[in-house]
Formats: sequence, C-alpha cells, structure tokens
Amino acid sequence: MIPKFDYFRPKTTEELVDLLAKYGEDAKMFAGGTDLFVLMRDRLIRPKYVIDLKGIEELHEFSYDEKRGLRIGATVTLNELLESDVVKERFGVLWSAAGALADPTIRNRGTLVGNICNASPAADTAPALLVLDAEVEVAGKGGERTIPIRDFFIGVKRTSLKPEEFVKAVRIPNPPAGAKGGYYKWGRTRGEDLAVVGVAALVVNSGKRIVRVALSSVFKTPLRVPEVEKVFEEEGPLDEQIERAVSAVQEKIAPITDVRSSKEYRIHMAGVLTRRALKELFGGS
Amino acid sequence: MSRHKISLRVNGQRYELEVEANRTLLQTIREDLEMTGTKCACERGDCGLCTVMVDGVPTKSCLVLAVEADGKEITTIEGLMKGEELNPVQRAFIEHGAVQCGFCTPAFIVAATALLKRNPKPSEEEVKEAIGGILCRCTGYRQIIDAILDASKSGK
Ligand SMILES: Cc1cc2nc3c(=O)[nH]c(=O)nc-3n(C[C@H](O)[C@H](O)[C@H](O)COP(=O)(O)OP(=O)(O)OC[C@H]3O[C@@H](n4cnc5c(N)ncnc54)[C@H](O)[C@@H]3O)c2cc1C
Repeated sequence: MIPKFDYFRPKTTEELVDLLAKYGEDAKMFAGGTDLFVLMRDRLIRPKYVIDLKGIEELHEFSYDEKRGLRIGATVTLNELLESDVVKERFGVLWSAAGALADPTIRNRGTLVGNICNASPAADTAPALLVLDAEVEVAGKGGERTIPIRDFFIGVKRTSLKPEEFVKAVRIPNPPAGAKGGYYKWGRTRGEDLAVVGVAALVVNSGKRIVRVALSSVFKTPLRVPEVEKVFEEEGPLDEQIERAVSAVQEKIAPITDVRSSKEYRIHMAGVLTRRALKELFGGS
Repeated sequence: MSRHKISLRVNGQRYELEVEANRTLLQTIREDLEMTGTKCACERGDCGLCTVMVDGVPTKSCLVLAVEADGKEITTIEGLMKGEELNPVQRAFIEHGAVQCGFCTPAFIVAATALLKRNPKPSEEEVKEAIGGILCRCTGYRQIIDAILDASKSGK
C-alpha cells in the first residue's frame, strides 16, 4: 500500500509553480514514479501532495539543434531517449548509460530528469551528463535559472533544487568534434540492479587528446574526476597516461561498503573499468 | 485523500471508476476489476510480475497510479485470447513447457506479446533484453526464451 496523499495533475507550468509555492516541502512531483512510489511504499517519505508532471505538454519536449545541442524535457522517458538516432550517434555516452539503467520495462516510464532529481550516488545517467557538461533548466516562483550539472548534486539524494523549484529540462551542448564515449557499468547481475561501480568516459583522439571521466556509486554524489583530464593535457605514451588516469580515479573516489559490494572491491573495479573504457575508446579510432 | 473519476479500457471493455489517489493500477486491475491473472509480488518494480500493457507498452502496474491510467487502453493476460483461441505466445509457452510454478507466466506472455507486435522477428539477444525486467524464480528462462523465439517464427 502506498500511504495516502492528494493527487494533482497540472496542465501548465504556471499551475505547477503555484502548487509548489503553496505546498513546498509537503509536495513531491513525479514523472515515471519509479523512484517516488518505491520510496513512498517503503514509507521513507510521506508527501501529503503528489504532483504528476505528465499533464504538462511543454515538459515533454525533446529537441536537437545543431548549434545548441540537445534539450530533454522533464517527462521524456529513457526509452524515448534510446530511440533517438541523434542521441545514439552524437551523445553515445548518454545513450549507453540510459540503456544500462534498470530494465526496458522500467525505462518505458522512468525519465532522465527523474534519475538526476532522485540524486542517488548510483544514478546511471549522471556520470554521462557530467562528462557532457550538461546544464539543468530550473524554474519556480522566483523565476528561472540554470544549474551546471557539476553543481546539481550536493549529497546522497540531495540536489541544489529549492523545495519550490522544479526541473524543466536538461540541456546538453554538442560534445567536442570527434568525441567518442561509453558508460561501463558493473553490477551484481547483468540487468536491473544499481551499479557496484559505473564509469562514463568521453574521449577525443584527433590531434590533442581530450579525456573526461565520471563515476557512479563511488562517492556521496556522482563524481567527475578532473585530475584525469590533466593527465592527458601533456603529451606522452598512451598506456602510461591510462595508468595514471586509473590511479587518479582510485585516489579521488571514496566509496562505501554496502549490500552490493565492499569498498575495496569498488576501488578495484573503478580502476578496471576506467582502464577498460579508455583502452576501448582509444583503441577503436 | 483525493478521489478521482477515471475512464479506462481494459481488454477492449470500457470501465468508469472512482479511485482513491493512492490506488495503484495493479490494485485496480486485481481488486476493483477482479482480474487476477496479473500477479502481485514485490510491489516495488523489481520482479515485473505485474506487467501489463498500457497503450501497448509493457508497464509494471505496481508503480503506476490508477488515476494515471485515465483514458488509457490496458491489456492484461485475460485479453490476449481471440475468442477461444490462444495467441501464438501462449501456445508456444505450452509447447515448450515454459511454465513451472506459473506465477511469472502472465507477465512473460504479456511482455513477449508486446515485443512481437513491435518487433516481429527479434533476435535471441532482443528477447532477453525485452524480458530483462521480469523474474522467474523457478529459473526456467531457457524454455521461456525458446517459446518466444518459436512464437516469432510461427508468423503472427
Ligand atoms: C526495479 C528498479 C530498478 C532500477 N534500476 C536502476 C538502475 O539500474 N540505475 C538507476 O540509476 N536507477 C534505477 N532505478 C531508479 C529509477 O528507475 C530511475 O532513477 C529513474 O530514472 C527515475 O525516473 P522517474 O521518472 O521514474 O522518477 P520519479 O520517481 O518520477 O522521480 C524521482 C525523484 O525526482 C523528483 N522529480 C522528478 N521529476 C522532477 C522534476 N521535473 N523536478 C524536480 N524533481 C523531480 C521526484 O520528486 C522524486 O523525488 C530503478 C528503479 C526500479 C524500480
């Protein structure tokens, strides 16, 4: 049984802004509900008011522009993302992360924005958004603002959103020319489980090497490791650079031991996956 | 708690209901409409046994509110036969012995029927991917996969 609440389905963002301003912390929004209703059923949260975002057409916008890049509205499902050729071809790291999340039935309802607003350290799409320098479009009573994704996650299940704010969309600029990317997820089973460790990597190997790496499930928030980027700023033999990147990752992360894995195993696998990701992404070009 | 009038079609028949906000689609199907083919187990999206089609799309009905189903077309295991005739997936499950205790069977058949509608000739990988969100604890996946592949060959 899900505990009692009042249900609202606003049709416009103005109505949503008013509801959030009125009910503040007593209200919770949802798109797919695949996080919210599990938490409510387990009585980890008990909102008095539950607001369904799917009635607001504007939040379902999903567009690509050659100059501005991708814009993914709050109610766009993960499977809608996966069906997009633009995402697959130009934002490969996001495409592979979305495909690694849960299972296809959950992805029929779950959304990218729900995934980041839930702000689990294990959120599979977060590392991809971090290496892509995504931005979060936010609105509320006080107007609109944009939060760079690197400032969005502030703790376990905590974001920099204020209670009366909501996310309209995630914007992702075009990655650097020639970029290739992938998300390497290690779990207890092949599907439908949160990551023991996940590594998102973005690599450019034409002329100057550019490398960005971010991880899930190894820190209190999803984590980008800028030290890896520094390693590749100077020239040097690739294999050596990759090993230095692996060390940089393992030094930076601070995983915990939980039901999925020990802390030591996470540190080990973060190294294995970083090495695998970089070798594969450099190897193929 | 708020109450909501909803109108939905289930297996081709229209129902007008009034539901409380916290009612799940799964509860409405099983308790209000008394269609108990759809199973209730984990109620947290893990096991997939409550899978039904919402507008043709496989959906875990334990994580959907009944009020969200307003205006939707729902298909459950009860809606797959044409008259007295089993659908190709149902037939293949019998032929392959893809049923052990049977508790997960409705979900697999609903998900497989939806898959074959969208992708009539799936590869084995695609079959595995499509049923990845449904758990069989008798661990008889081999027969289930074979049955779905066979149903895809039978043409319909
Ligand atoms: C069986 C199962 C397996 C799963 N496996 C994975 C996995 O492998 N990897 C993974 O990362 N996740 C996993 N999840 C978690 C979940 O499916 C994802 O996080 C999903 O992307 C959430 O999207 P949603 O639309 O369903 O979120 P919702 O439940 O609708 O919302 C999630 C949270 O975000 C808030 N929120 C939603 N939209 C907004 C908005 N526009 N503005 C502000 N706040 C908002 C909600 O209030 C809520 O707190 C799994 C869940 C289940 C049930």
